[in-house]
Amino acid sequence: MSTLERIGTIREAINEALHEEMQRDPTVILMGEDVGLAGGVFKVTDGLLKAFGPERVFDTPIAEAGIVGLAVGAAMTGLRPIAEIMFCDFTTLASDQIVNQAAKLPYMTAGQTKVPMVVRTAMGAGRRAAAQHSQSLQAWYCHIPGLKVVMPSTPADAKGLLISAIRDDSPVVFMEDKMMYNQKGPIPNGDYTIPLGKVRVHREGRHAVVICTSSMLYPTLEAAETLSKAGIEVMVIDPRTLSPLDTEPLIQAAKEMGHVLIVDEGYRSFGVTAEIAARIQEDAFDYLDEPVRRLGALDVPVPFAPSLEDLTIPNAAQIVELVKEMLA
Amino acid sequence: MAHEIVMPQLSLSMDKGQIVNWLKQTGDKIHTGDILLEVESDKATVEVESVESGILQIVMGPADGEIPVGSVIAYALAEAEAPVVVSSTVLPSTKTVVDSEPVQITPSSGGNSQQLRRLPSSPAARRKAAELQIDWQQATGTGRDGRIKERDVLRFAQELVESASLKIASSDSIQLTPVAKRIADNFGLDNASLAKLIPGKTKIEGDDVEAAIRKLVGERQALSSPLASLAPIRPAALAAPRHEAMGAVRKRIAERMMQSARTYAPVTLTTEIDASELVCLREALKSDPHVTAAPSYNVLITKMVAKALCEYPVLNASLEGGEVVYWPTVNIGLAVDTQRGLVVPVVRDVAVKSVNELTREMEDLLSRAAQGEATGDELTGGTFTITNLGVQDIDAFTPIINPPECAVLGVGRLRKRMAVVNDQPAVRTMLVLSLTFDHRLVDGAPAARFLQRVKELLEKPYLWSL
Repeated sequence: MSTLERIGTIREAINEALHEEMQRDPTVILMGEDVGLAGGVFKVTDGLLKAFGPERVFDTPIAEAGIVGLAVGAAMTGLRPIAEIMFCDFTTLASDQIVNQAAKLPYMTAGQTKVPMVVRTAMGAGRRAAAQHSQSLQAWYCHIPGLKVVMPSTPADAKGLLISAIRDDSPVVFMEDKMMYNQKGPIPNGDYTIPLGKVRVHREGRHAVVICTSSMLYPTLEAAETLSKAGIEVMVIDPRTLSPLDTEPLIQAAKEMGHVLIVDEGYRSFGVTAEIAARIQEDAFDYLDEPVRRLGALDVPVPFAPSLEDLTIPNAAQIVELVKEMLA
Repeated sequence: MAHEIVMPQLSLSMDKGQIVNWLKQTGDKIHTGDILLEVESDKATVEVESVESGILQIVMGPADGEIPVGSVIAYALAEAEAPVVVSSTVLPSTKTVVDSEPVQITPSSGGNSQQLRRLPSSPAARRKAAELQIDWQQATGTGRDGRIKERDVLRFAQELVESASLKIASSDSIQLTPVAKRIADNFGLDNASLAKLIPGKTKIEGDDVEAAIRKLVGERQALSSPLASLAPIRPAALAAPRHEAMGAVRKRIAERMMQSARTYAPVTLTTEIDASELVCLREALKSDPHVTAAPSYNVLITKMVAKALCEYPVLNASLEGGEVVYWPTVNIGLAVDTQRGLVVPVVRDVAVKSVNELTREMEDLLSRAAQGEATGDELTGGTFTITNLGVQDIDAFTPIINPPECAVLGVGRLRKRMAVVNDQPAVRTMLVLSLTFDHRLVDGAPAARFLQRVKELLEKPYLWSL
């Protein structure tokens, strides 16, 4: 593992991880709508067709159930397929393959078959893409035992977690925030892995902890900076993997800070924030000085009108306000 | 119907109380646990909780002066129930001047948050208060809606510490670890105060400071707590010792126990037995459709003791004058706890009776004895006694021999425990037997052999058929 690194975007980090893993392991294949000739609708798979040829990188019809079904079958026969579903909103079409096939088959065959597959998909609002192209459905897949759910928020995490996801023998749903593809940061060179199920602490604090996922990291860091100027030091933790969830450091942080805010771009009701809040109150109840606060997308279909869309997604100002309210 | 709310007895010596004020008004909806009023007794002023729910109708107040304990001071009425017409006759009070007009009930306009039993508080605040051993309810809440937060508890603790006025001449001879220094600074304790609080230590650690703070706040709080002056709890609500003549049963018990203790040479042997098979046997009998009344453990043990006594007649004997009298029948007394004291009904000729017969006979005899209805004949003539304290969770004890018998067997509780069976740990139901015998009549070894035989019979019920 190399310690050298360069500065690049999350798009570049994912592209690099795909190149390196396909180079390293001939069983890794890639499929999806426009992933080949076009290099992906978000240009994430650029250059892979040229590098590895149509045997390993191929464009599929617009048929999500077919794409993932193909990947499940390929995975069962010993390959390590990576299926791209352009928007996570469309994984609903493939959810039988993901939920009832990929997640279940290793158990229903008593471990005789594995499904080492990655479903890469883009989530998140902000692109003025309306209700059917803007959702964050991570909670759907977190609800299913047998699936791992990963949400990177930095270029380094994107590379390290994707390589681990490809090498993992379980089916992994790998969710990429479509607004963060241009987010820059260090990308470690070479064979860089991050174990699935480990949090990352982005900022140490003294007064409150904000637990944030994927797209919510940057508004949270911005809020932490604002709060710091007001003398409030906020700890910032990104779980990075939602399932399995690295609960222990979250409990520990809750115990130390006593004030907890959880931010996730999925819908607030029955979502990721609710699950994390429940685990915290179960194990850190006696240390909480305030009820656990949650921020998520408003419980409405994401509006097409930009002015309305912005209102439905958590932002830095709301995080500042809620932290201040807790500490008041 | 209306429930009476009476002047409570708040301390052992209280016989009258003065109502300081009512915190609820006539017509208010009250619930079990609500604080209704404050009462001043001879010791302290105490908040009184409701043990009823309903609509409050107050009949006595601060103007009524000292009110005897037990007097009706209010009623809890059912919804839409007419108020109780209060006349002087319903009040066993020294005051008789009570308005005989029915009380007007006006609907209340809802609860008052100040009277909520639980103040809004955070779990962290309550935990910190428990750590510091202070009453968080006395802290002033500064959170939203007056919620008591952890910082409020810390501030309150700090106030308690500061009010202890510890300032004495400076002491530079002590050393603080960084942790100790931080905690001390948080509580505004200087080196001099610490030297006084933690005497005899020159190197002070965090734990020392925390312990000192706990002690300090504990003391300060005790002084300010309204409960501090309440009398401690005593075994009986008595202002002075009470003298009472001994009942006939108690007298007889005392005489026989003294006789036993004075004349006998008692030795107690204990042994633990594995009663798992016995339990299996009883459970099997209980579930067998052919068995109408399954025998109790008392019956099974009595029967087996009788069998062993037939084999060891010296335990079924008495010392009379210079002679040993071996009894021709085994009559087993069973110690029964009654309201009036211990009685020992006797089951006659146990050895020749079947388990079925014993079940019927003992059930009848023991239940009558427990109610004090056993006849004099039924309470005499025993040759051996069994006493069972298993219900009270006793394992081993030293029972006293019931004269003129030679021995008594104490039965402990049946209890699942880890036991070693074939060099392996196993969960078994164990039971301790305690045999007290008269060493004048029997030596240790034969008594031990008898107990061993009882153990064997109870551990291996299949031996019974032999």
